Amino acid sequence: MTPRSLLWLAIGLVVWAVLPFVVPRYIADLLVFTGIYTVAGLGIGLLLGHCGIVNLAQATFYGLGAYASAYCTVMMGLPSIVGFFVGAAISMTLAYVIGRPILRLTGYFLALGTLALSAIASALFFEWDWLTGGTLGIGGIPKLDLFGFLLDRPSRYYFFVWIVAFACMAVARNLVDSRTGLMLRAMRDSSTAAAALSIDLQALRTKVFVVCALFGSLAGSLFAHHASFVSTQSFTVDRSISFLLIPVIGGATSIPGIVVGALFVTFLPELLSKLGDIHQILFGLALVSVVVLMPEGLVGAFGKLRARLTKRSSGHG
Amino acid sequence: MTLSLVLQALFAGVTNGIVYALVGMGLSAIFKGSRVINAMQGEFAVIGAMTTVLLLTKAGWPYPAAIAGGAISGALVGAFIEVAFVRFMARKNASEDSFLLLTIGLALTLSASVLFFIGRDGHLLPPLGGEGVLIILDAVIQFHALWLIAIGIGATLALRAFYHRTTVGLSMMAASIDADGAATTGINVGRMRTFTFVLGGLLGALGGILVTPLIGVDYQLGLNLTLKGFAAAVLGGLTNPLGAAVGGLTLGLVESLAIIGISSSYKDVVAFSVLIVIMILMPQGILGRAGRRGG
Repeated sequence: MTPRSLLWLAIGLVVWAVLPFVVPRYIADLLVFTGIYTVAGLGIGLLLGHCGIVNLAQATFYGLGAYASAYCTVMMGLPSIVGFFVGAAISMTLAYVIGRPILRLTGYFLALGTLALSAIASALFFEWDWLTGGTLGIGGIPKLDLFGFLLDRPSRYYFFVWIVAFACMAVARNLVDSRTGLMLRAMRDSSTAAAALSIDLQALRTKVFVVCALFGSLAGSLFAHHASFVSTQSFTVDRSISFLLIPVIGGATSIPGIVVGALFVTFLPELLSKLGDIHQILFGLALVSVVVLMPEGLVGAFGKLRARLTKRSSGHG
Repeated sequence: MTLSLVLQALFAGVTNGIVYALVGMGLSAIFKGSRVINAMQGEFAVIGAMTTVLLLTKAGWPYPAAIAGGAISGALVGAFIEVAFVRFMARKNASEDSFLLLTIGLALTLSASVLFFIGRDGHLLPPLGGEGVLIILDAVIQFHALWLIAIGIGATLALRAFYHRTTVGLSMMAASIDADGAATTGINVGRMRTFTFVLGGLLGALGGILVTPLIGVDYQLGLNLTLKGFAAAVLGGLTNPLGAAVGGLTLGLVESLAIIGISSSYKDVVAFSVLIVIMILMPQGILGRAGRRGG
C-alpha cells in the first residue's frame, strides 16, 4: 500500500466511525440496512461475478436466517447467538442439498430455477404459520446484547452490522484470491478448459452457492434483531429481485461495488420517496438506465471514466 | 374425492392452463426470435387487461372494440421495448444476463406505473358470453371459461398457421434459426425481431384480457403470470411456442389436481417444484428433442 492509499483508508475509517453520530436517526437506520444488504449482496456478487450464476433465491436464505433468529429467541428463549448459528446451519444445508441438483442447470434455466425456489420458499413461509407466524409474523425479537452493551439504537447497531459486513468482505476477498478463486475464474472464462484441468465444476459452484446462502442467512439474522419483527412480506420474490440488483448496479466483480449497490437500493428509494408515489417508477427507470448504459455497474463505469481522464491528462502532460 | 370434484378440477386446470399457455407462448416466441428471456411477459397481460378496462369504463368503447384495443396496446408496448431498448443493447453485444436484468427493470417500472396511474385496486371485466354457467355432473363451468378455452385454442392454431403458412411467419422463423442466412435472402432480420416482440406482446395481452373476468387484474398480477408463463415455456422446450401451449396445459392441470390431492394453498409450491424437477430431468422440455423442432 502506498502512503497515499493509506491516507485515503484512514479518512474513510474516520468518516465511517463518525457518520452515525452526525446524521439524523433515519439516515443511521438506512446505513444499518446498507450494511445488512451488503452482507446479503456479497454472496450474490460472488455467484454473478465469478461463476456467471444469476441467483434469484437470496430472500429464501435471508428469510431462513431471520426466522431462525426470531424463533430461537422469542419462542424458545435461547441466546441470540444460537439463532445466528441455527439459521446459518439450516441455510447452508439447504443450499447444499438443493444446490447439487439445481446448479447443473445453466444460464436462464438456472435463473428461473432459483426464482422458482424463492417463490416456493415464500409460499411455505406463508403456509407454515406455526413456525413463522404467517402474515402476523413474530414480534418482540430482542436487540443484541454484546457483553452487557445493548445495541438498541441504530447508531450502536451500525458498528456491529458493519463489522460483520467487513468480516464478510474479507472472507469474500480471500475466497476470490485463493486457489478457489483462480478455479472460479478459469471456470467463468472457459468451463470446458477448466473441466479439462480436472476442476470439479459442480462442487465448485455448490461451494460458492453455500457461501452465498451463509451470507444471506447472516443478513437475515441481523435484520431480525434490527427490526424486532419479521413477517412473510419481507421475504418475497420481490426481495430476491432487489438483492440481485445490488451486485448488478454496483458491479458484480468488485467488492466495494457491492457496498455501492447496497447504498443504491437502500438510499435511492428513500430519496425518491420525497417526490411522492412516483418514486417506484423512477427507481425502475434508474435500474433500466444502469443496465442499458453501464453494463459493468456503477463502479465499472467510474473506473472507465477515471481511466479515460488519466489517459487524457497524461497525454497533455 | 368424487367424480364431479375431479371434473371441476380438470376444467379449472384447463382454464388456468390456457392462460399460462398464452403468456408462455408469447415468452417463447420472443425467446425464439431474439434469445431474450422476457421477464416482463406478465406485464403485457396487465397492460392489455388494464387498457381494456379503461377503454370500456372510462372511454365507453363497446366491449369487442375495447378487447381489440387492449390486445393492440400489448403489441405496441412490445414493439416499443424492442425498438427503444433491446435493439440498442443487442448492437452493443450485451450478455444474456443483462437482457434478463433489463426486462426485470422494465417489469418493476411498468408495475409501479400501473400502481401510480391507476391505483392499488383490482379491476374486473364482464365475462364473455354472460354470467351463465354450464353444469355437467355437478361440476360448474362458467360460459366465460368455455370462451376462454375456445379463444385460446384458436390463438394457438392461428399461431401455428402464422409460423408455417405466412411469409412473415416463415421469415421470422428463418431469422431466428440463421440470422446471416436469412439476411442473405433479403429478410430484414432486425424488423423480424421487432415483430417477435409485437407477437409476444399481443399473446400476453390476450392472456391477461381473458383471465381478468375470472380473477381480476391489479398491478401485482404481472410477476405471477410471468413465473407461470415462464414455467409453461420451459416445460414446452422454451424455443417452441406451440410446446408452450402443451406446457401451459400441463402446468394448469398439475396445479388443479394438486389442489384436490393436497391443499389449495400449496398450488404454487407444487407448480414450481414440478418446474424445477422437469428442468433437471428433462432439459429439453416434456416434448423432448422433437418438440424443439416444431413451431
